Amino acid sequence: MFFANLGIGQFLALFGAVSALSVVLYLLDRSRRRVVVSTLRFWVAAEQPTAVVRRKHIQQPFSLLLQLLSMLLLLLAIAQLRLGTEGGQPRRHVLILETSAWMNARAGRQTLMDRARDRARAYVRALPSGDMVMLVRADALATPATAFEASHRKVENAIADSQPSSTSLNLEQALAFARNVQSANGQRGEVVFVGSGRVAAGESATTDVPKNLRVLPVADTVENAGIRKIGLKRSTTDPDVWDIYVSVKNFGLRQRDVGLAVAVANMPAGSQRLSLPAGAEREASFTYRTRAAGILQARLFPGDAFPDDDRASVQLPALQTLQVTVYTNEPDLLRPFLDANPQVTAVFRPVSQYASNDKGLVVLDRFRPPMRPEGDAIWIDPPPALPPVPIRARVTNPESIRWTSDNSLGAGLRARDVRLESASVFTTAPGDIKVAEVDAGPIIVARPGAKKTVVLGFHPALSGMRYELATPLLFANILHWIAPDTFRAKEISAQSIGTVNIALDTQISPEKVHVSREDGSPVPFTLQGRSLHFFSGAPGTARVTVGDHESVYSLSLPELGETRWQPPGGTRYGLPTFRENAASSHDLWQIFAILGGAGLLLEWLLYGRFTRIMGKARNLLKWPISLRKAS
Amino acid sequence: METAPLLDRNFLEKLERLTIHWQKSFAGLVGGHNPSRFSGGGQEFLDHRQFHHGDDLRAVNWRAYMRLDKMFLKMFQIEPRVPIRMLIDTSVSMAAGDGSKFLYARKLAAALCYVGLVRHDAIAIHPFSTHIGEGKRCGGGRHRFSPVMEYFEGLACTGKTDFTAVVREFISTIAQRGLLIVISDFLDDTSQCERALQYLADFGHEVFLIQLWTEEDRVPPWTGELELEDGETKRLVKIQFDEEARERYTASFDAFSTSIQQLALRNDGKYVGVSTTQPLEDIVFGTLVRSRGIA
Repeated sequence: MFFANLGIGQFLALFGAVSALSVVLYLLDRSRRRVVVSTLRFWVAAEQPTAVVRRKHIQQPFSLLLQLLSMLLLLLAIAQLRLGTEGGQPRRHVLILETSAWMNARAGRQTLMDRARDRARAYVRALPSGDMVMLVRADALATPATAFEASHRKVENAIADSQPSSTSLNLEQALAFARNVQSANGQRGEVVFVGSGRVAAGESATTDVPKNLRVLPVADTVENAGIRKIGLKRSTTDPDVWDIYVSVKNFGLRQRDVGLAVAVANMPAGSQRLSLPAGAEREASFTYRTRAAGILQARLFPGDAFPDDDRASVQLPALQTLQVTVYTNEPDLLRPFLDANPQVTAVFRPVSQYASNDKGLVVLDRFRPPMRPEGDAIWIDPPPALPPVPIRARVTNPESIRWTSDNSLGAGLRARDVRLESASVFTTAPGDIKVAEVDAGPIIVARPGAKKTVVLGFHPALSGMRYELATPLLFANILHWIAPDTFRAKEISAQSIGTVNIALDTQISPEKVHVSREDGSPVPFTLQGRSLHFFSGAPGTARVTVGDHESVYSLSLPELGETRWQPPGGTRYGLPTFRENAASSHDLWQIFAILGGAGLLLEWLLYGRFTRIMGKARNLLKWPISLRKAS
Repeated sequence: METAPLLDRNFLEKLERLTIHWQKSFAGLVGGHNPSRFSGGGQEFLDHRQFHHGDDLRAVNWRAYMRLDKMFLKMFQIEPRVPIRMLIDTSVSMAAGDGSKFLYARKLAAALCYVGLVRHDAIAIHPFSTHIGEGKRCGGGRHRFSPVMEYFEGLACTGKTDFTAVVREFISTIAQRGLLIVISDFLDDTSQCERALQYLADFGHEVFLIQLWTEEDRVPPWTGELELEDGETKRLVKIQFDEEARERYTASFDAFSTSIQQLALRNDGKYVGVSTTQPLEDIVFGTLVRSRGIA
């Protein structure tokens, strides 16, 4: 006979305190009270003998005994008094069930997950009935599915509800969690791992494992080759062409020859045959020309026992273009600068056809329109009357141009000793960006705001800059500044769910990095030097913006461990055989609780307020009867 | 600190449609069953009051209605009236416990006074315990009610109840018979209150006995060893009180109430037993009306 919840000292202390409190309350309840009443005539009529001078302190000893006995029984129920030897004290086991993506692989007619569930259920059924089990689902995160549960049926239900996720197993974290939970409860028990144990390469030699670890391995002889990653970006030479890279890995132990087919919008875009030695990873590249949006699909054939990574798809965005309307009477001067960029659609119109409501960017060549453009505009050598930026002076043969390189508009502009015949010098306002200056002042000014405006104080094609490389570069910078979203470099990749690691080109401050989901909600990330890390536990799209560079990650492939975890020596394997010591230990708390409650109820009925309530009810019933009799 | 008035305005307005009733005819006095204040033309006009459902439309002041858009009833004086006397118990037993019994008695007495004032009855209030205290006479309409309220608010409990002495004093000083309302707990340890009340009836008064009690008076909530102190006599008794004793106590109390009731009925009077837990409005418009004490 022993207590499951309390020590004998704790029990005695608790019972002593409760008993003392009961006795004090009892004595207080039955102590003599002084009451001022209206008259004594009815009290005397009650014919109750007057109290003796020497008071008896305990007037209703059975009431007190019944109270104390009931309290004792309730405390025994709380302390969980068990009949049997203490060896039968219930243990608390932590059952780690692997739910990584790999558990969805098929082995015969079953998946690895089915096998793992069977093993977990067999373990639970092998436990003594009093043992408690906590089920922890382990993938990239360790998630407890139940608390320490004495009902094995509930644990089995939780096992049945466990499904493979899309991430790989982080066994180290799961074992640490189990150890912490078990040490916090201070009870005996085992940490049991059920799964294939396929982990990342760095985790294969995890040695910091609990001493009471038991492993129920799930046989894993699945041969699998799968797509690891798809990378896409527009060709640097031809923006209409997508460069497509597909990485394929053989996770199995035998060489595989597989076919890789790529299609865009269900139209074949290419196929290759790959020979994959065991454990090798190969990359295949394709090109595909399209300006339109569509879905790119990559498929491995023939399929294998783990189909989740045999197929991947990624959304291709359409090529964005900037519409430019040029009002000039000499279109040939500006045409080379604008037609050189395939993302620019330029329309040339004579100044007489000017309309202020043109969409996109408007270029005004030495022309002051009656109404200013409603959108963004580039003014080239505007007339002195009512220019967009006040003209301070007109200078002839100014000294060589100086470019300001502290902003994106002047990036890469190195032309020196360029001779200009004449140029307008502008008076800038606060916030204006000076792109180029001569000694007399700025000659190219950019004005940010809702409507972006760039004003050139000279015509590049009618000056010494006409044959300089700086001229198309200047136009490219201006277009990029006016429409950054259109010209932002984009990279698209499809890769596995879980932790995403990105190597950045340069070290950058966290303020310039934005990671967001498809719906725009931010994703927490860490930045360590040039490495950016974030985690996604579910399929979806993540968008990483670093400066003017944007990467879109389609996280749809399952994350797979590369190696198998090797448990350290001394680890127990297989189903245990517990001594049936718990069978000799019977839990009696329900009986004690019922008896204690019944005792308190009996005391209340016999000695408590119940009798007063019944007395009042009887009196209330008698009163109208007596009145009727009197009348 | 300003205390709340005994009766609020809404309750007083409801009381305006009531009348105090009595059954006996007294020599030389008009009234009697007094079913209505309005005995016809030729009587002297006294006052107006609010019109209530059931009033005689012939007595409505239609001129006032045309001007004020409100219906007022004309009232006329009939003299001399049957005097209404009210004996209100101010002994210490009325203040036993939380004092709710005495407060209730004052509220009930004030309500009956207001009913009488509205009907232009002549009312005399006599507080009593060992002797009859300084009384208050009132009459002449509802606008005389404010001094009555102040009088009731100023009453305090003092002394022991001695019905025999009080009745003797009452009969010797007041010769005119009439309606006599007694508001008391009738707990008199000094003498037999039943006999004294019988004297009053025999003298020719129509007695209207209103017995007040608190729940503690009827069903004491205590159990165990009790040291009881009589609030009036300060006598101490130590007893052991249990459920059986409580039942005997309540039976004894009920028997006493029944004896008071029988005394009233035997002498063509009225009796009402009131527990202070019952709302005053329920007592006035329910129990008192059913007993035909007011209508």
